[in-house]
Amino acid sequence: MDGTHAATMEAHWGGGVSPFAATWQKTMMWIFIVTDGLLFSGLLCGYGYLRMASTTPWPETTKVFSIPFIALMTFILITSSMTMGTAVTAARLGDKRKALNNLILTILGGSAFLGCQAYEWSHIIHEGARLTSNPWGAPQFGASFFLLTGFHGSHVFSGLVILIITAIRSAMGRTPAQGVEMAGLYWHFVDLVWVFIFTLFYLLPS
Amino acid sequence: MEQSMSNEAAGGNPYRIYRVTWIILLFITVAMLGAEKFHLPRGFLVIFLLAFMMVKAVMIAGNFMHLRYEHRRIAVIVAVGILLTSLILLGFITPESYSVLSKTIR
Repeated sequence: MDGTHAATMEAHWGGGVSPFAATWQKTMMWIFIVTDGLLFSGLLCGYGYLRMASTTPWPETTKVFSIPFIALMTFILITSSMTMGTAVTAARLGDKRKALNNLILTILGGSAFLGCQAYEWSHIIHEGARLTSNPWGAPQFGASFFLLTGFHGSHVFSGLVILIITAIRSAMGRTPAQGVEMAGLYWHFVDLVWVFIFTLFYLLPS
Repeated sequence: MEQSMSNEAAGGNPYRIYRVTWIILLFITVAMLGAEKFHLPRGFLVIFLLAFMMVKAVMIAGNFMHLRYEHRRIAVIVAVGILLTSLILLGFITPESYSVLSKTIR
């Protein structure tokens, strides 16, 4: 946005003091995160419904999945969140090299997570799990697993695309610190959602 | 937010909070995984896991997403928006699921 356009926008703004004490970009990002959070909240509540109303026993996740492997995925995602936070602060402090390095580390972490998820999916499918059936118990288990982890995986994928674009633009000096912060907010949200999926789907006992 | 963050940064290493949060999150994750091994009573284990899940969520939102530096209204919108909707959904779903279950069993 050039200076003249920004000044024109400023002149048209008649809303008084910003109610959130934040830029419109950040306010919109937070509103988006809330709406996306509601999507996952609905999915997790739907999963809860299926699990509670299931007449056949819900499969023991410890017998279906390799929990240490899922823990490794969690470790990767939490670590990528740390590098993302570092990138945001480095960008804010004007340390472009550190910001870029940490963005690249975050991209590597996200790619590793997606790779692990692809491996887990192929393994589970190979074992016989489908959307409508599975060899371990309640047939709804397959639908819950593929929907929850699939939606989350698609968010990780889109987050990676955003991070790659942000890293390229940062390297070219075309992304302001706020751009890195917006990408960071989205990435942390992906991590936040995983915390719920990890606990409610993988760890909660049957 | 910038002011609060730079105030904190002036006090020391601005990246320290991410490392500390990362270590605490890993520690909590290991504790959650370890709890499964101790054969705790189911109810206690569920409460333990849910409580630690919420602690992790608050730490990510507060420290990684910088929600604690933002205007309180944003924090309220996020927390009330997502948590209240989830509670309302669960409030409707839980009795309904048990009623479906009891009808199916009969």
